[in-house]
Amino acid sequence: MIKTFYGLGVLDSSAACFTAFIIGLFFGLALERAGFGSSKRLAGIFYFNDMAVLKVMFSALLTAMLGLSICISLGWIDLSDQVYLMKTYFGAYIVAGLLFGVGFVMGGWCPGTAAVGMASGKIDAAVFFGGAIAGSILFNELYPIIKPLYTWGESHQNSFGLPGVAFFHTTLGLSKTGFAFLFTAIAVCCFWAVEALEKKYAPASTTDRYLNSPFLKSFSLALIVIAGSLFLLPSQPPAKTARTKPAAASPVSPAPAVSEKILLEHVASAQDHVEPEELADYLMNGIPGILVVDVRPSQEYRQFHIRGALNVQLPDLPVFAEQSESAQKIVLYSNGMTHPAQARDALFRMGYTNVFILTDGLTGFADRCLKPVSLRTEPLPVYSANQINRWRAYFYGRNASREAAAKQTIAYQGTLPSLINTEWLSENLQHRQVKIIDCRDQPEYNRNHIPGAMAVSPENFRGVVEGIPSMLLPATFLAEKLSLMGILSSDIIVLVYGGDRIRDATLIGMVFERLGHQRYGILEGGFDKWISEKRSTNTELRKMAATTYQSASARDPFTLSADEVFSYLQNKSAVILDVRPVDYYTGKKSDEARGGHIPGALNRPFTEDIMKSEAYSALKPVAELEAAYASLLLSKETPVIVHCRTGHQASQTYFVLKHILKYKQVFWYDAGWTEWSTRKELPVTVGTEP
Amino acid sequence: MDEENSRYSNPYLTGVMLGLVLLASFLLLGAGLGASGGLARLAAYIEGLLVPSHTHASEYFGAWGNNPLNYYLVYMLIGIFLGGLFSAVSNKRVSFGLERGKSASIGIRTAFALAGGVLVGFASRLAGGCTSGQALSGGALLLTGSFVFLICIFAGGYAAAFWVGRQWND
Repeated sequence: MIKTFYGLGVLDSSAACFTAFIIGLFFGLALERAGFGSSKRLAGIFYFNDMAVLKVMFSALLTAMLGLSICISLGWIDLSDQVYLMKTYFGAYIVAGLLFGVGFVMGGWCPGTAAVGMASGKIDAAVFFGGAIAGSILFNELYPIIKPLYTWGESHQNSFGLPGVAFFHTTLGLSKTGFAFLFTAIAVCCFWAVEALEKKYAPASTTDRYLNSPFLKSFSLALIVIAGSLFLLPSQPPAKTARTKPAAASPVSPAPAVSEKILLEHVASAQDHVEPEELADYLMNGIPGILVVDVRPSQEYRQFHIRGALNVQLPDLPVFAEQSESAQKIVLYSNGMTHPAQARDALFRMGYTNVFILTDGLTGFADRCLKPVSLRTEPLPVYSANQINRWRAYFYGRNASREAAAKQTIAYQGTLPSLINTEWLSENLQHRQVKIIDCRDQPEYNRNHIPGAMAVSPENFRGVVEGIPSMLLPATFLAEKLSLMGILSSDIIVLVYGGDRIRDATLIGMVFERLGHQRYGILEGGFDKWISEKRSTNTELRKMAATTYQSASARDPFTLSADEVFSYLQNKSAVILDVRPVDYYTGKKSDEARGGHIPGALNRPFTEDIMKSEAYSALKPVAELEAAYASLLLSKETPVIVHCRTGHQASQTYFVLKHILKYKQVFWYDAGWTEWSTRKELPVTVGTEP
Repeated sequence: MDEENSRYSNPYLTGVMLGLVLLASFLLLGAGLGASGGLARLAAYIEGLLVPSHTHASEYFGAWGNNPLNYYLVYMLIGIFLGGLFSAVSNKRVSFGLERGKSASIGIRTAFALAGGVLVGFASRLAGGCTSGQALSGGALLLTGSFVFLICIFAGGYAAAFWVGRQWND
């Protein structure tokens, strides 16, 4: 992809000026060779006795147009941001064109040719040039008066998100390639016509004759073939992606463009819509990150609106969209679909890709979701009828206050992920957004558990990934599992361990780490502390409706592969902590292909972070952990890689370092010794020395 | 004169060469060719010499700052002049004089050249470019405005051709 001086924003640099100078040299050379150092020859086009201007100009235009089209098709240059595109002002350009034409035929020159004419010693060129300077000054003096004319008749087209930039093929309703071909064909016909004209009217002595010459035949054929071959090239550059919005978009800077093609693809695949039923479920289940916006006038909004909708007028939408950039979806609706669809497309072009419209608008919503079952002509299955009744109850406000309370987002004092104390849990046990995951074995859970807790073994989230056993599953699988459990990304998750198996809770914690779910914590002291404080338990199963947990598809940033660990090792750019028991570290004991440890790795068994009291086990006090790790790691910024055999024990050290001690760069080598020991090319050391 | 004309290069091939120069301009500079832009900068510089404070305070030229010549199109215009000079000298086409029809007066030709210059200078600013910068460069980009401008140049030119043709009468 070519970066131009314009695209880089350095068109005023000396390098750009020098390039412009060189280009100017060739430009002047070409003009002079064409005979444009003569005003008589230039003016000849208006008297049909010398059509050189037309021949040169159209040949040049075709060459540049076809050449540029090929470059765009091959993805060498992106027109949308690498080339300066002038706006179209119909009124201004019509007036300017007519004036220019009169001036051209009077003077016999245009600015570029006049420069060449002066170089050829033509006095009239110098006079013309002086006149043009005077004309420019005149324009400057008249500018305050004629300013409206200067921008008169701006095109309504919007190309690459640039308002006013209009393409002629779009104006004519043709494809770009089709237009280029048609234009080439017309130009070739013009060449033949002017040759015939010259033969008839121009004195034979003044111009060369090309009519029916082998040259003109082959030249015409070459142009047609090249223009035709454009049909074979892709009309869009290979990998054109939508430009994303820059993080710090100021209101004055033009919003970045999104290609029209992507916009149309979204429209075609209905990715710009939200169906009424879908929206009703979103709202009723209180899924966060969804903003519903009523774009109707405020008096209509006050009469009735979809419960939970905000009222924003169309002109205020860009500001609203900017402020709500973090929202997953902004759903626009009005009575019908036209206005919100236009607004949505405009916002999309400005780079806000999270905006949707409600299919059929408020009318459709009322018809499809809120119309009483008794008034419907079509027979409905029981399930749908119940659903409609639930929607009606919700959107017409029955039980509104209770649900509103339940919908409220629960706040947590302090930062998560962290340890959550038993007192907080006991107070917030009933809240809809608090989900308790009991990591103990199923029989223990069956005997008794914290009310509302779900029994989930950490093994649920592990499996063979690319041949390596006991790996945490990819994010999409994890999200599926959480969906079945009825968990939403807005929930606060409390992980409960039994005995000293804090690592079971931290391993499930890694699930939430991978999904970027911040609001989770580990119950301090686990189930045993809960019991020792004689807090309530029961044996009931909590009924949960499945949800759709939104997953991030990108790889998490903290899980490392063996190769990545090896490259850290080679560069000595991270501390490797082996958290297995000492005997496995030294190689005295081994359950794998090779015993020992990664050369340079320090041993800090995970068990050293745990303290046992009479009633329960918990992580050691922060000060104690702080001191222990300060002796191993230089600073909080030090990159540190934790590993064990399968990633299980290491998840505990990960939690301690990352969330208790707030180390900034903690990585997790999930595959651990299971993988490392089998890869013979990777180095291994035995003994107590790192 | 006629013998010289016959030495002009093939207009189609010259056009192709010009097109390739324009393509190079797009790919390197990210902007097309331009002549009137440099000319207008020169105009702003000259007006700035004559009435500096007025020029700097003016809305259009004032936006170009205190040194309007510091602009890539000025360098391109210098290049056009030197390129033209090189070609004219090497092809022995330099001849000092006022080009006009044999029976046209010097006064008429000079007046027309001057008036034409004023119109073209003004119109180029209004269109944001001349035959090179707007019509040719924008046309190659398939911009609607450039086609509108180009068509209107021919319309204006042909409409006025009859009234100003006497300057070329032999």
